[in-house]
Amino acid sequence: MSLLERLGRGHLTDAQFAKYWADDKVEGVPHPHLAACEACRVRYEAFERWVDGIGDELRDEADEAFAGERLAAQQAQIVRRLETLERPARVLRFPKAARAVISGHSHARRWVTVAAAAGLLAGLSLAQIVPLHHAVAGHRTIQGEPVLTASDARELSHEIVFTTSQSDDELLSDAFTRSHQGALGALDDMTPHVRDIVDTSK
Amino acid sequence: MAGTSPALVAGREADAAAAAAVKALQAAGEHAEARERYAELVARHQRRASRIAYHYLRDGAEADEAVQDAFVKAYQHLGSFREELPFDVWFTRILINGCLDRIKARTRRERWLVPMTGRAGTSPDGGPAERDMTERVPAGGLSPEAQLLGRERRREIAAALAKLPERQRSVFVLSHVEGRTSREVSALTGLNESTVRVHLFRAIRKLRALLAADARTAVGEQKGKRRVTS
Repeated sequence: MSLLERLGRGHLTDAQFAKYWADDKVEGVPHPHLAACEACRVRYEAFERWVDGIGDELRDEADEAFAGERLAAQQAQIVRRLETLERPARVLRFPKAARAVISGHSHARRWVTVAAAAGLLAGLSLAQIVPLHHAVAGHRTIQGEPVLTASDARELSHEIVFTTSQSDDELLSDAFTRSHQGALGALDDMTPHVRDIVDTSK
Repeated sequence: MAGTSPALVAGREADAAAAAAVKALQAAGEHAEARERYAELVARHQRRASRIAYHYLRDGAEADEAVQDAFVKAYQHLGSFREELPFDVWFTRILINGCLDRIKARTRRERWLVPMTGRAGTSPDGGPAERDMTERVPAGGLSPEAQLLGRERRREIAAALAKLPERQRSVFVLSHVEGRTSREVSALTGLNESTVRVHLFRAIRKLRALLAADARTAVGEQKGKRRVTS
């Protein structure tokens, strides 16, 4: 504080009022200039009213925002929240799912189902490994052929060997010598031969 | 600023007794009785707590939630309360921390939101101060003109208060609006006592300047209107 202020020759500013209001006044120190200067005292009183007015306005505003009913509701809500603190939180049980058809009733049914599934899998994998279509086709061919006896098979194999080893002329000339073709002799007699025709023309 | 009055001292003694009783009941597992005793403390400090939260948050619903949270938290941690500090100071500290957390969360939220012009609850300078001011109807018995003027004044004060730095605003609200001593404000805010006074002085000076500027602007606008109409 300057000497001029102390002597009352200079007037206090708003900032000095604010400083006094915030600081010195709290400590109960009387301001020497305010005690001496009537004009500043009047101004300071106006300043104090202004500051107090702000406080009143702010308090009123908050009190209007929180009327009695609202405070009562707030208190009830606080009590409710305190009550819930002491109760352990309830855990809702998850609803039971419907039991699966396979599970439960009997173990035998389960084993049958598992075995069927395993069989199916094994069959499918075997089918991938073994070429079954070839086997099926071969089986069908055998079934379509006539059944041979053991003697026929021997004769057939002999003929096959014979025919494959002789020429065509030998085959024709030798045809009459075969015993099972004797029945054709009569028919052969009725049929004119080439050699006979050649002889007569000579 | 108000000093420590005998009523305040008596109130604090009652608070300390109630807090000690609640603590003992909690320890004994008598929770229903503990809640009943605690409800006394709630009733005694509820209004003041709501005021503080409202001045911090400038939103009635959010202030309501902040007060509830603070009371619940105080009840849960009453075991850590020591009688060397008054209950209201300890509780107000919890409340202020909660309010500051909410302000931080709101700032983070608003960073990602597109501001809507003309949105209800947003003042021209960006604060949510105006909504509650204009929507609120002042106490009955006043003429419509007086109501309008009162509303306008509150809007100006709230806008000016919103422009103060956070610490100055806290100190001003706690010491002037809530009547706390410098020592109590120091305990509440964690600031040095002399720093509290400096903040209070700066807050008053800035408010004075802001409100005087508003008054000058209003006078200028009125003069302008008169010129236009004449």
